Amino acid sequence: MLLELAHVSKAFGPTRALSDVSFDVRPGEVHVVAGGNGAGKSTLIKILSGAITDYRGELRIGGRPVRFHDPHAAVRAGVATLHQELSLVPALSVLDNLLLGERRGLVSAWRGSRRIDECRALLRRVGLSIDPTRAVETLGLSERQLVEIARALGHAASVLVLDEPTSSLAEPEAERLFARIAELRSQGKGVVFISHRLDEIFRVADRITVLRDGQVVFSGPASELNDASLVEKMAGRALDEADVPRPRESARVTLSVSKLGVRPGLADLSFELGEGEILGVAGLQDSGSSDLLRALCGAAPHRGDVTLAGQPLSAASPRAALARGVCFLARDRSESVFPARPITENVTLSSLGRLFPLGVLAVGRERALTASATEPMALVAPSLAAPAGALSGGNQQKVALARCLLAEPKLLLLDDPTRGIDVAAKADVHRLVRQAASRGTSVLVASSDFDELLTVCDRILVLFRGEQRAVLGREEFDRARLLALAMGAEAA
Amino acid sequence: MKALAWLRTSTGRALVPLAVVIVIGCLFHQNGAFFEWSTHRAMLREISVLGILACGMTLVIVTGGIDLSVGSVMAVAAVLVSLMTMPLGWGGLSAAALVLVAGTALGLASGALIARFRVQPFIVTLAMMVFARGLAKLLSGGKKVTNYVTLPDGSSSTVDLPALFRAIDSKVLGDHVSVVTLIFAGCALLTWVVLARLTAGRYLYAVGGSYEAARLSGVPVGRTVLLAYALSGAFAAVAGICQAAQETHGDPETGAGYELDAIAMVVLGGTSLSGGRGGVGLTLVGALTLGMLQKILSLNAFSTEARLMLTGGILVFAVLFQRPWQSRQ
Repeated sequence: MLLELAHVSKAFGPTRALSDVSFDVRPGEVHVVAGGNGAGKSTLIKILSGAITDYRGELRIGGRPVRFHDPHAAVRAGVATLHQELSLVPALSVLDNLLLGERRGLVSAWRGSRRIDECRALLRRVGLSIDPTRAVETLGLSERQLVEIARALGHAASVLVLDEPTSSLAEPEAERLFARIAELRSQGKGVVFISHRLDEIFRVADRITVLRDGQVVFSGPASELNDASLVEKMAGRALDEADVPRPRESARVTLSVSKLGVRPGLADLSFELGEGEILGVAGLQDSGSSDLLRALCGAAPHRGDVTLAGQPLSAASPRAALARGVCFLARDRSESVFPARPITENVTLSSLGRLFPLGVLAVGRERALTASATEPMALVAPSLAAPAGALSGGNQQKVALARCLLAEPKLLLLDDPTRGIDVAAKADVHRLVRQAASRGTSVLVASSDFDELLTVCDRILVLFRGEQRAVLGREEFDRARLLALAMGAEAA
Repeated sequence: MKALAWLRTSTGRALVPLAVVIVIGCLFHQNGAFFEWSTHRAMLREISVLGILACGMTLVIVTGGIDLSVGSVMAVAAVLVSLMTMPLGWGGLSAAALVLVAGTALGLASGALIARFRVQPFIVTLAMMVFARGLAKLLSGGKKVTNYVTLPDGSSSTVDLPALFRAIDSKVLGDHVSVVTLIFAGCALLTWVVLARLTAGRYLYAVGGSYEAARLSGVPVGRTVLLAYALSGAFAAVAGICQAAQETHGDPETGAGYELDAIAMVVLGGTSLSGGRGGVGLTLVGALTLGMLQKILSLNAFSTEARLMLTGGILVFAVLFQRPWQSRQ
């Protein structure tokens, strides 16, 4: 046994984050920890990585009880954690980042360049052949992740904890990561893999532990579960992707884009979006789907002709776009949620001008509006006055979506709206998007999760490196074809 | 623990240092001097000018910015209002109106540089601090502007202090409250209305909470930043008028270092320097804590040196206490 947790409990005030959780990692296995938002996964990771030090119960490494007093102690004990937010210093070189974790005197000379070969060898172990003197900020997200894995290996890690490592990766990059994970497993390392995504859970898992409300509800070989039973265990209920009746085909065109270009990368995009239609944008990391949405909402300069409801749309700012009925939900929650502000303020922010034209707020009316806007969201929150930052990721996403929907947009631009949220919250978001569409809102949704696009969209626009490759109608939907197109295959 | 839950709120955490200071005051009351209303009236009068600056500072800090220029802008205002009312003989109200416009304009200039060119507020307002100090000295010719004026025929004489000055430097409500304290209260109320009851306030918090999220949510980020610095400039002008009235002259050197006291009041209340949270109620508590502390130290005849050192130490203690308790678990 590489690592063992025995009867671990942890409470934050009145909230029990973990109760009596036991968990272990064996050499040469991938142990997946699954669970919805708020199930206790983050707390578990924090204990393993030494970020939480006051818990009840015991942590054993190689059979010996230990207690990490800080994250560095965990690293020295051979437990390396890759957080969702990577912990590399962007402005420093790969080389410096690899050596940064070594504890040394503050005045000892920095002889990084002498160890360049050592670093190259380390990078080769994770399949990277980049120049170690390159600054980390010039690397793609997946490369940065591999650099971080290399650093963990450099510290002789025996257990690697990966916290939703694929949440910001597109499919081929995720494939590369899975290949590395398989190698690590064959080298006898233990891997703890935290994920929401069913397909990848079953791809990598040897064993699965399911957490719900801080308790272990299942722990055993992956072969004992299937998609449906896993979801049921995570959610505590069976889920149905509720089929909201699809809006009738409307002849009216809401958005018409012709020869749209955005520097750098996007060229000559032309498509139309009907009233109440949901158009997906499928693409991998560098496809430019975010650039497309940002250009349409006025956040990025662009050329080409865009018309909204028959009138030219040349929004110079998101504010101007909002005035025309265009609402954008950013991919990154740090660009869509105000964690310190109450839920109410988060929800009404984009509608204040419309609701209170004189600029004077009616606080009671605002609260009532927020309540009705969040009512269909199945929001889990202590109260609407609670700061948004106190909510779980999925609920924060619902708050941001509520802000967009309350603004009653003609055109809703969603950039990866279900990134990093659990299956139950995901189903809720899908339902809300479909409901908005059935009320006549046109939706453009970009996603790195192709299954999501195939479920939710009426048509899918495929981008490959900034080029429009195809627009698929519902009857042409096919997962393999979609992936092939997104990876650069020519449309037949 | 439940009974102590209020301690976890920001207001609760701000009130504790104030309560501690009051208890200290009760213990070292100097033969009952601490229990006299006149002591507190004087204390309130002493913190009023700084408190007015702190109101504007709160608006700026909520947006995640900082305004180092308020002390200098205040000096410009003090010199301007003295020049216009005494040597030039303007009416008090028209002079005050023009000074308000001037203060707002200086604030707008800082705000424009910050909003339009995205220069760091620290740098911009540091430059404005130096510029406005120079402007104050230029306007005043480097001397205090007093009511001893040179007449056109070359002779000199003393004119009456303007009615505006006398009105501001008086007491009302049966001599129980200084007029400057009322002006401070009015400024605080105005700040509260802006932050809590106007759309503009939401935008200020949003910009401070996350500039990019605010921009993408359709908040007029540029105008919001402009508003914060313009109001800070206007409040600095009000503070300058009050200062000139109390000193009965316009001193181009006045207000040096006041920006730091104003920041201390805001921070002592628990408003975060990183923006997006806090409020003027907290600033009020911070101002009272600082004022009360100064008063107790002077009642107990601490030397200026000891008072400065003690104030510094207590500031650190209070701010440490106000950090969210979550992080200590």
